[in-house]
Amino acid sequence: MSHAGSLDGFRVIDLTQGLCGPFCTMQLGDAGAEVIKIEPPAGDFARRMGPPFVAGESAVFLSLNRNKKSVVLDLETSSGRAAAARLARDTDVLVADFAPGAADGYGLAYGQLRAANPRLVYCSITPFGEDGPLRHSPGAELVIQAMAEYTASLGQIGDPPVRVGADIASLNTGIFAAQAILAALFHRLRSGEGQRVAVSEFGSLLHMRGIMWTSMSDPDDWYGFHLDHYTKPHDHGYRTKNGSMYFILRRGSSEDWDRLIMELGMEEVLADPRFADYGRAATSIGRYATEVKPIWEKAFANRTREELVDLIKSVGGDAVPIMDYPSLTTHPQTAALEATAEVDHPTAGRFTTVRPVARFSATPDSIRIPPPTLGQHTDEVLRPAGIAPSRSNT
Amino acid sequence: MAKILDGIRVFDLTIAAVGPWATKLLGAMGADVIKVEAPGGDRLSHAVPPMIKGSSVLYISANHSKRMIELDLKREADRAIALKIIARSDVFVQNMRPGTVERLGLGYDVVAKVNPRMIYVAASAYGRIGPMAGEAGIDPTVQSFCGWCGITGPDHGRGELFRHLAHLDLTTASTITQAVLQGLIARERTGRGQLIEIEMLTAAMALQTTRLAEYFATGEQPAPLGSAASTTAPHQAFECEDRRYLAIGVERDEQWPGFCRALKLDDLISEPRFATNPLRVKHRAELVPLVAERVKTKPSAWWTIRLNHENVPNGPFLTFAELRRHPQVLANGHIVEIDTPHWGRMHVDGLPWKFDATPAGPIRAGGKPGEHTVDVLAELGIVDERDAGRLR
Repeated sequence: MSHAGSLDGFRVIDLTQGLCGPFCTMQLGDAGAEVIKIEPPAGDFARRMGPPFVAGESAVFLSLNRNKKSVVLDLETSSGRAAAARLARDTDVLVADFAPGAADGYGLAYGQLRAANPRLVYCSITPFGEDGPLRHSPGAELVIQAMAEYTASLGQIGDPPVRVGADIASLNTGIFAAQAILAALFHRLRSGEGQRVAVSEFGSLLHMRGIMWTSMSDPDDWYGFHLDHYTKPHDHGYRTKNGSMYFILRRGSSEDWDRLIMELGMEEVLADPRFADYGRAATSIGRYATEVKPIWEKAFANRTREELVDLIKSVGGDAVPIMDYPSLTTHPQTAALEATAEVDHPTAGRFTTVRPVARFSATPDSIRIPPPTLGQHTDEVLRPAGIAPSRSNT
Repeated sequence: MAKILDGIRVFDLTIAAVGPWATKLLGAMGADVIKVEAPGGDRLSHAVPPMIKGSSVLYISANHSKRMIELDLKREADRAIALKIIARSDVFVQNMRPGTVERLGLGYDVVAKVNPRMIYVAASAYGRIGPMAGEAGIDPTVQSFCGWCGITGPDHGRGELFRHLAHLDLTTASTITQAVLQGLIARERTGRGQLIEIEMLTAAMALQTTRLAEYFATGEQPAPLGSAASTTAPHQAFECEDRRYLAIGVERDEQWPGFCRALKLDDLISEPRFATNPLRVKHRAELVPLVAERVKTKPSAWWTIRLNHENVPNGPFLTFAELRRHPQVLANGHIVEIDTPHWGRMHVDGLPWKFDATPAGPIRAGGKPGEHTVDVLAELGIVDERDAGRLR
């Protein structure tokens, strides 16, 4: 018991598909909850995301579904809906990503489940939020990023849009959903009361751009990295002899600054007011960083980025190479943090994934079971609940 | 109505964006967040433009729903006050460079002795072990390091940074808030507090778990694809006749026939090359030109009507000017306006969750550094002997 996770003993019924809901419930599973993933007979649509596939399993699906058991129920049949409602009676948490209103049709809306399970924590995930003209509209990763204006901070005005490569609309929302569920569970532990909670992908991404909204409220000056990054060119970091790096000067002393400038042969900038205050406005988010970038890059052209990273760190700056996945995943720091974990899957074999992020000294998160094959646990879950798996519900 | 975190006090020793945003979310859930700053505060929090009436927007934005006190933890009298607050707190969050808080005498070991029920979060950029142990990081340096510039950029072009330099900060913050809630649940069940360590780098990698999965499966670096998704298709921006781009995303096979009907490309419904998502991803290079050519023939509003009719995800590329009065944003409070004592009326991010029984918020403006020192100490019955001492 001493090393059980913080949600040990809690059960989660997961009626979500794709990326967002599954990322949420995976984190609850990492924390120790028993997660029952209800899938339609065709399976979660994320099972068909790809290529790449590993022995027939979608790599994307594998990355989002550890610590879960898969039960197939066809919610288009009355017996499938009845079985889901039966499972919802004895669970602590239910997570659903039905379109608003659709849950009622399945008999799986909070109002329909609450009487039989008043302690239930019910989480609804929607693309745009439960009110307003788009409450019934379907979402997709790019659609949410575009409407939340994330693409304004990428690419260049006039060029085709560029999205954030990571699936942020889905995954950041999955974190907020996990927060809402955890908060409601905490409330239940203290009060005995269950409740319904809700998150949306659009709302989540707009929340995460809040510094921008406040910046636009009535700034003293139309300058600042949360304003002018709208209109800046692509930011690729700084080119060096062998790749790009990123750096910022913010702690250095005058001796450090002099040494950096001498070392790089940039004495001419000492008379340039844009490099005042030891170059603090000349790098990173500094006011003149964009326009003086060519001056730095000229000095960096015949040095390797490893040399430059070391030099900049030695003068009190922060510097890192701009890395791709091969260099990230083999970097000694990533290894030291054990940021990745190996999981053995019954058919796909051993695969690598990112470990649970937070490290708890007393109730650690853990990876206990691999992502399930479709319906792998149908019998194991339904029989003890007194539900006979039958053709009509599997 | 009751708030979820009523009665939970947070000793907030955070700087910049990562830590402050995490505790602001706890404040919105009803926790009593006491933000502790050294006189003058940290440079990054207070000096980053843009400013509103002299205060950094970063500082204003990341510190709602808190009370602000000043303590000079290098002085013994101030540290004694801190320990009294700590004894009556439930959560301790700090994101200073590894080693800094220990030097101030407020590392986990010290705090746990004063308060064994404390949930103590130590957040950092790269952790406190390994060759980069103790190095500082900010959003753009972690962006550079964590690999996500390699998957973001023009189609097969040069990778680039995301210029809203806060996304990984706030992702890490979200993870901290989540972990604190887990810690509170665990404490409710075990009676014990604990140490929670979180690195920005790992949080940034977890946010890319689907994209890293592609790399781990193939051993090949995924290329930037402009606006396109890597594992679903068609799922990208298409230019319309009015020169506006429309985001369209077919993520599920059941959306495909409706998509074809909306575009009057009905022949494609039965086209074997495009019958399933994996086939459409595989034949993306043949599929995309067919779609692009058709979309170019009509304005974006035309396609939106037709795609909506078929329930296919689509949407425009909006700007702040369009968003701030968008009916969907207003109806759900995704962006809200609040009145503040020092900075006038301002737009702030809406809360990311809704609780039916224990509503979060309303969002309260924080304050200026030290604004609530006297109130907080008086409320906690802590006698501030510092002034008397200094007068002597």
